[in-house]
Amino acid sequence: MAGRPIYNPSSFKNVEENGQVVGYSFDWKAQYYRSFTLSILRDIILKVDGVDVNREDITITVNGETFTLEECRTVIDPEYRWEFGEYATVTVKKEGGLAKGNHTIEGIQKIAPSYMPFVIEAPCNTTFQI
Amino acid sequence: MSDIKRAVSLYSYQDEFYLGKLDLEGCLRETAKTGATGVELLAEQMIRKFPLPIETQEFRDQWFEWMKKYNLTPACYDAFLENRIYDNRTLTLKEQVNMMNRDLRLASLLGFPVLRTLVSTPMDVIEGSLPYAEEVGVKIGLEVHAPFSLNSGWADGYMEMIKRTGTKHFGFVPDMGIFCKNIPDVLRDKARRQGAKEECIKIVDDAYANRVAKGFTKIKYDLNLGKANMEYRMANGMQEMMDAVKAAGGGPADLAYAGASFTYSWSEPQDIIDNIDYIFHTHAKFYNVHEDLEETAVALPEVIDAYKKAGYTGFLSSEYEGGEHLRADMEVDSIEQVRRHQAAMQKWID
Repeated sequence: MAGRPIYNPSSFKNVEENGQVVGYSFDWKAQYYRSFTLSILRDIILKVDGVDVNREDITITVNGETFTLEECRTVIDPEYRWEFGEYATVTVKKEGGLAKGNHTIEGIQKIAPSYMPFVIEAPCNTTFQI
Repeated sequence: MSDIKRAVSLYSYQDEFYLGKLDLEGCLRETAKTGATGVELLAEQMIRKFPLPIETQEFRDQWFEWMKKYNLTPACYDAFLENRIYDNRTLTLKEQVNMMNRDLRLASLLGFPVLRTLVSTPMDVIEGSLPYAEEVGVKIGLEVHAPFSLNSGWADGYMEMIKRTGTKHFGFVPDMGIFCKNIPDVLRDKARRQGAKEECIKIVDDAYANRVAKGFTKIKYDLNLGKANMEYRMANGMQEMMDAVKAAGGGPADLAYAGASFTYSWSEPQDIIDNIDYIFHTHAKFYNVHEDLEETAVALPEVIDAYKKAGYTGFLSSEYEGGEHLRADMEVDSIEQVRRHQAAMQKWID
């Protein structure tokens, strides 16, 4: 039997801007049981094909708006809560994107609900195809 | 015949909601099918763009239409005081009171008589919100969740406040995770799937049985929850248990099982009887109810018996939490779990 999916398997793709591949993106769901403001999304750690992704190269898109992880710190409007059970899009800046074929991703969502004495670190690992 | 009522916390259906199999109305429909008459809501879980819709007449009309359609009554509104919404500071006392008052207002707009607040809510925030709670007619219930317990130094701090202020709008919402005679079987099964050794599982299970037999050392009142929790764990023999697991060659799965065993605790059901005047609502937490209606961790018959003896007339609200031990490996059937749990509660209430 299969477990609960985190990633949308069909969402992994390279991102083009002005005819150039500038990175890649994917959709995933938050591993927590309620929606939350992006201000308590304290970090996203990514390792793709065994290589650490720079924090500065990561953005997250919720309800049509895109934020850097640094910007997330002050995002508290109800319009941009990461809704429970809904996908948010992560985009990683990378010249040329990812090669066609199979890849692995090791992701960690760091979420800090105020009532918890520690930060939730949810591991989100999968293999995917571009 | 007891006047105890049954509710379902929609938290229970989180796996189906996550997968898009149930929406808010679907959860209410499933709740009604179990025969429960009360509903407990985490607005932030199932209402998009919280709290904006609750401010609209349109949503509220829809909500009350659902209550009527499914013969449900709002039982408890679960609030989360996000007092560390920014990473560089904790909200000031006034900001926190305003946030609590907002939540009390949202609860009242949706017809909830009780608002559940969490143990991390500072005492002065609760006190500061009492006038408004009274004004809108919503009682604040502090969740008593393991490792906390009633009849403890921790609870005494709140009892002192109740007596000092004379408030009728603050009390407790016990979570039945404080009445676990055993570690949930779904946690043990997960440990086995992850490669835990039977020898180490036995060490942990024996240590738990020993804590139950001896009585848990209670946690102290301390707003530094991490520190209080660690002291509590040490006082209840965590170090010795961890050492024994390591000496038996325990690996990550064994140590994870050992650590997680401290998520559960055992209090005497008499605590319910002693504190009944201050119990506004109850989270009937459960982990796995078998086909024969046996819940293997929570001592449901004994606990419900205590509620009956105490003359409780509030809700016992099913709160299914076993899914978190299954969802990485298999499908979770919350609907069936809640159905069984409601049937089990009815059996013991009658």
